[in-house]
Amino acid sequence: MDDLVLRVGLVVLATAATAWVVLSLLVVVGRLRYERIHRQADERPLKPREAERLVRRAAGYPRTEWGRWRRVSALQRLERARHPAVPRLLRRVLRDPDPKIAAAAIRTLGDVGDEWAVELLVDALRDGDGSRSRVASELERLVPTPGPRLVPLLRDRDAIVRFWGATLLRPYPDRGESTLIELTWDSNPEVRAAAVETLGTRHGPAVETALSARLDDSEWFVRVHAARAVAHVVGAEAAPSITRLLSDQRWWVRTAAKDALRGMGADAVPSLLAMLTHEDLFARNGAAEVLQDVGFVDFLALDNPQSPLLERIYAAGGERYRDAAIARLEDGHLHDVEEARVA
Amino acid sequence: MTVLVGVAVLVCLAYLVFTTAVYVTLTVIGAVESLVRKQESRTDDFATLGVSRFTIPVSIVVPAYNEERVIAATTRSMLELDYPEHEVIVVNDGSSDGTLAALIDAFGLQPYEAFVRHVFPHSDVRAMYRSPEHPNLVVVDKVNGGKADALNAALNVARYRYVCGVDADTWFDSKALLKGMRLAVQDPARVIGVTSHMTTARKPEVAMSADPGRRRIDLHPLMAYQHLDFLRAFFNNRTAWSRGNYMLCSPGAFAIWRRDVLEEVGGYSRTFTCEDIEITFRIHEKYLREGRDYRILSLTDNVATTEGPDTVRKLVSQRERWQRVIDETVWHYRRMWFNRRYKSVGLVGTPFYLLTEVLAPAFEVLGLLALAGAIALGLFQPLTFVVMVAAIAFTNAALTASAILFEDLQSRSYRVRDLVVLLLYTPLDVVVYRPILLWARLKGSLGFLRGDKAWHKFERNERAPA
Repeated sequence: MDDLVLRVGLVVLATAATAWVVLSLLVVVGRLRYERIHRQADERPLKPREAERLVRRAAGYPRTEWGRWRRVSALQRLERARHPAVPRLLRRVLRDPDPKIAAAAIRTLGDVGDEWAVELLVDALRDGDGSRSRVASELERLVPTPGPRLVPLLRDRDAIVRFWGATLLRPYPDRGESTLIELTWDSNPEVRAAAVETLGTRHGPAVETALSARLDDSEWFVRVHAARAVAHVVGAEAAPSITRLLSDQRWWVRTAAKDALRGMGADAVPSLLAMLTHEDLFARNGAAEVLQDVGFVDFLALDNPQSPLLERIYAAGGERYRDAAIARLEDGHLHDVEEARVA
Repeated sequence: MTVLVGVAVLVCLAYLVFTTAVYVTLTVIGAVESLVRKQESRTDDFATLGVSRFTIPVSIVVPAYNEERVIAATTRSMLELDYPEHEVIVVNDGSSDGTLAALIDAFGLQPYEAFVRHVFPHSDVRAMYRSPEHPNLVVVDKVNGGKADALNAALNVARYRYVCGVDADTWFDSKALLKGMRLAVQDPARVIGVTSHMTTARKPEVAMSADPGRRRIDLHPLMAYQHLDFLRAFFNNRTAWSRGNYMLCSPGAFAIWRRDVLEEVGGYSRTFTCEDIEITFRIHEKYLREGRDYRILSLTDNVATTEGPDTVRKLVSQRERWQRVIDETVWHYRRMWFNRRYKSVGLVGTPFYLLTEVLAPAFEVLGLLALAGAIALGLFQPLTFVVMVAAIAFTNAALTASAILFEDLQSRSYRVRDLVVLLLYTPLDVVVYRPILLWARLKGSLGFLRGDKAWHKFERNERAPA
C-alpha cells in the first residue's frame, strides 16, 4: 500500500504544484497586463477588420452564456466607436431572452442617448423587452428627450405600460395632466398610484380635487401616495383630511400620513391636537409622535411645563414618550426651540 | 490492529479524494460564475442606479454589542454609502461598555419616541434616538437579548422593502449597496436575498481607506490566512452555490433580504447560537416546501472589510462558534438532507455541509491518528507521509490561487505585491493555519454536543486612541 500511496501522492503533488505555479503566474501576469491596458484609452478608432469581426460577433446568436456576454462586449466596443451598425444590432440584443443581456443593451442605449435610442427604449418599455425599471432608469437619465414619446403610453391598453408612462412623466410638468387626472380613476390600482405620485409634483384646482379623492381609495398603497401628494399640492389646508389617515387600518398609510403631517410643521398642530382623544390607540400615538417631531412638545415643555395640554399629549404618547421629552429638556438639546420661544 | 489502521487510512483517503473532487468541481463552477459576473459587471451603470428613483430603498440594520471602539466610525461609513435612499438603524443590544455614549457623542443623538410595528419579537426597548444631522439614522437602545433579538428590533423600525443586515465592525465600500442591490432591482419578485464577497483585516478602516487598485492586504500571517480563507469561501464555494441555487449562508456581515420574506418566516431566530446561516436555511426550507420561484445570490464584488481576530485565541473563539452554528443548523434541518423535495438544496447543499463542515473535524482527527498509527506500524514510510502532506498542501494552494485569480479579475482591488505575498503564503496554509481551524472546529463540535449556545465574542483589536 505504501508504494501505491507514494506513487499516487507524487503524481498529485506534481499536478497540484504545476497548477499552483500556473495559476500564480496568471494572477501576476494578468494583473500587470490589465494595468498596462488600463492605461491605454479604449476610445481608439476601430480598424476595418476588427470592426467586421465585432459586427459578426454582435450579430450572432451564441448558445452559451459566455458567448452572449462576448456579444455584449462586442456591441459596447462598437458603440464606443460609434459604428453605423449599432442601432440595428442593439434592436436585436434588446430582445434577447436572457434579461441580463437585455439589460446590457438597455444600458448601452442610455449611453447612446440619441433620438433613435430613446425610441428603442420606449418601445422596450411598451413591449416588455428587458427589465422595465432598468429601461425607466435610462429614460429618466435622458430627460427631456423622451417627454413627447411618453404621453401616448398613458393610453396604452396594457396597465403596466400606463403605469410606467404615468411614473416617467414626473419630470415633465407641462405634459399629460388631463390624462393623468383621468388615470387617478383607472381600474388598475398600480396605475392610480403612479398617476397620484406624478400629480403630487403639480398644482391647480383640478389636481387638488383628483388627489383628495384618492385619500379614500380602496387600495392602501394608493392612499399612501395620496397622503404624500395631497400634503405637497394642497398644503396645510389638507391637514384635517390627512390626520384622519392616522387611524387607517394599514400601517403604511399611517406612516405616510405621519410623514406628510411632519412636512407641514406647525400648521398641522390643530388637527393633531384634535386626534389626542381619538378612540384608536394608533391614531393617538401617531398624533403624539408628529407633535413631538414638529417640535410642539418641546416648545410647550419649555414654555409651559405644567400645561394640561402637555399632559394630554404625554398621556397619548405613553411613558417612554414622556421620558424622551424630559431627557431632551434635561440634556439641553433644545437650544433651537428655546431661541424660537424667546423670539 | 494493522488491519484496523489500514481500513481507517483508506476511509480517510477516500474522504480526502471525495472532498477534493467536490472542491475542484465547485471551483470550476465558481470560475464560470465569476467570469459571467465579470462580464456582467462591465454593463453595470452605478452612476445611473446611484441617482435613479427606481433604485429600491434599503434599511441597513446594525446590531451592536460592546462596540464602543468602532461603532461611530462604522456607522459613519454606512451613512456615507453611495445610494439614492437608505436608512441606518443601529441597535445597542444592552452593551456594558460605552457603545451608546459613543453614538450619542458622534452624531449628537436626541431621545425621541417612534411608534413602530411589533411584527418581530424582541426584548424591551429602553429608548430611541435620532440625529438632527443625519435624518436617516435611528439608534435603538434595548435590553440585551442577543444578535437575533437586536436584528428583530431593527426590523420593526425599518421602513423599506429591502433590509441589509450588517456587523457593527464592518467597513463598506462606498458602492456596496449599489453592488448588492443591482440584481434585486432588475428582478425584485424573484431575488429575495443577496450577499457578496468581503474580506477581513485587523483594522478594516485602514484597508478600505485606499482606492481600489491600491488597497493593501493585511499581511500579518494570521490575517493573511483568514483573508485567503474568506476568498476560498466566497470564490470557490459560494459563487458556485449561488449558481446552483443552493446558497446556504448569507453571512451576517452583509446580508440583504426582502423584508416581507423575513416577515413570512417570523424574523431571526433567538434559539440558535447565531442567526445568519439558520435564517438562510429556514427561508430555503419554506420556499422550496411551498414550491416557490426565488433566488438567493452570492455576488463576487468586494463590498466590505470586517474586523478579524488578530490572535490565535480570538480566532479559535470565533471559529469555534461558527462550527457550533453550522452543526446546530444542519442538524436542525436534517429533514432536508438528500431530500428531492428540496431540489439542489436538499440534494447538494445540505449534504455538502454535512460532509465537508459537520463531519470534517472527525475525519481530520481520524486521518491524523490513522496516519500516525500507519507510520508507527510500518504501513507507511515517513517519506510517504511527507509526500501526502505536500500533495494536500499544493492541491489546497492551487484551489486558493484560483480564488485569488477570480477575486483579482473581479475587483482589481489590491496591490500586485500584496497578491504575490498572498500566493507565497498559500502552500503553507495546511501546516500553519488549518491546524488552528481544526482545533477550533473540534471545540465547536464538542460545544454543539454539549448544547453550548454562548456567543464567545472576541475582544476588539487594539487601536490607537482617536
